[in-house]
Amino acid sequence: MLSGYWHFVPEVLVVAGALAALFGEFLPGRDKGAAYIAAALAGVAALLVAAGGTGGPMVFGQIEPDGVARFARTGVAGLTAVWALWVAGRGMSDERRRDAVALALFAAAGGMLLCMARDLIVMYIALELSTMPAYVLMGYRRRDVSGLEGALKYFLLSMLTSIIMLYGLSFLYGISGSTAFAELSIEGAGILGLVAVLLTLVGLLAKMSAAPFHYWAPDAYAGAAPASVAFVSTVPKIAGIAVIARLLSAIAPDMPTLVTLVAVASVASMLLGNLAALPQSDLRRLMAYSGVAHTGYLLMALAPGTDTGYTAAVFYAVAYALPSMAIMLVAAEEGTEITDLAQLAARRPWLAWSVVVWLLSLIGIPPFAGFFGKLYLFGAAVDSSLWVLVVLGVLTSVVSAGYYFRVVREMFFGEQVGVSGEGVASPAATVALVALVAGTVVIGLAASPLLRGLGALLG
Amino acid sequence: MTIGPSAFLGLAAVLFALGLYGAVARRSAVMVLMSLELMAVAVNLNMVALSRFVTPTEMTGQFFAIFTMVVSAAEIGLGLALVLAIYRQTRSIELSSIDSLKG
Repeated sequence: MLSGYWHFVPEVLVVAGALAALFGEFLPGRDKGAAYIAAALAGVAALLVAAGGTGGPMVFGQIEPDGVARFARTGVAGLTAVWALWVAGRGMSDERRRDAVALALFAAAGGMLLCMARDLIVMYIALELSTMPAYVLMGYRRRDVSGLEGALKYFLLSMLTSIIMLYGLSFLYGISGSTAFAELSIEGAGILGLVAVLLTLVGLLAKMSAAPFHYWAPDAYAGAAPASVAFVSTVPKIAGIAVIARLLSAIAPDMPTLVTLVAVASVASMLLGNLAALPQSDLRRLMAYSGVAHTGYLLMALAPGTDTGYTAAVFYAVAYALPSMAIMLVAAEEGTEITDLAQLAARRPWLAWSVVVWLLSLIGIPPFAGFFGKLYLFGAAVDSSLWVLVVLGVLTSVVSAGYYFRVVREMFFGEQVGVSGEGVASPAATVALVALVAGTVVIGLAASPLLRGLGALLG
Repeated sequence: MTIGPSAFLGLAAVLFALGLYGAVARRSAVMVLMSLELMAVAVNLNMVALSRFVTPTEMTGQFFAIFTMVVSAAEIGLGLALVLAIYRQTRSIELSSIDSLKG
């Protein structure tokens, strides 16, 4: 029972990094140095997860470090490391950077545990650990009222949905008499089972900012510092998807209507997200709505509750998180209005072309990560004959090109008004952005072996 | 007369509904936080009752309830900190007065 505890070494490293950053007053370089150390530890943790093996259920079956969890944990730790590196180099809008990095690392530790959770209690605690630091990050600028307002909205909605989900979980436990995913069953529970699943589903969908529970996301993101949004809108989502897929596939066999419910949420998210993103002029709002749309694509693969769909969704969550985080980091450097990016191609050509790569990946154009991600999502939906979803997914992807290309046009042909692009160049921030470009391209090129590896592990 | 599980579940449902109403309808941020806490209490009651009637020997639900109590205490603390930070800037905790973000 105690033999598999080396699986937790990456989590321990991440927590150690968070503590080092939190109490890093006397480390060399003070604020900056502590942030770099935390970033390095998170990076090492990501490499360890990637290199480490997989295992069966452990700790009384509450944790299972399987192959898909390994992929998701690598994504969580790796993206956290990249984000921490960027913050260490560039700073968090005049506030201390090591606190922000520490919060991010705590959230990452929760996220990594969440990927492996196979029990309701572990899932709930890991979920809260991964979202609670996010509230603080969203309101990180203490004197900025709109940031605090966004953070309070995010907090109230998030807590409300947590409790609604928890109410559902308590019924799920009551019906099946156990909190282990493997023993969950709502067979023969009738209306109570339906209520339990509906409550749980509402909470989970709201956490993923899926329509029709997405209203909090654009407001919360538009108030916060773009660097905080870069983390909050991406990393916890990967872990969330990884565990939601497991939970849904545990309940799905007893409840055929679940497919319909998730499919409806998927359709609503794809339509609302993509259409609402079209007129936005603030990059944070645009990315918030595009996040809703991408949640719709993810739900498409989760709806059938198959292993293929599960793998495809986790893969896409990572493939979406990379460019999405990158765009928000660019917004943190250059300004949050789309017009702030005007003439970026003339000022910082390599960055402009990187943004093009990220946007193409988000639209789903080969050979970048997003294309293969979408390919497998659609494939999973086709396998279960969810044709309506696939057709809508392809159509809305074309619509999404409309608003993504507006950003591209602004970068290359926009009129620059006033002086922008302030701030000192930071080598560390540049390294972080280059890592995100490289990741987008490499995951795209290596998609086939990566997914085959994931699929084989599910076998 | 014995009190069955339905009495506990019913009480929890009533508390939960009251809390939900308060969280949606109240205009003061502190009142919303209190309503959320009421909902959390309802959920805990639900868990403990289910634990007693479904798995009396294992007490899984009671452990779950203890964990959720700690988590929601931490969350409420965080929420109050946010409300205080906003109060320092705007001298108001009315949710209707904090609506500069629209769209």
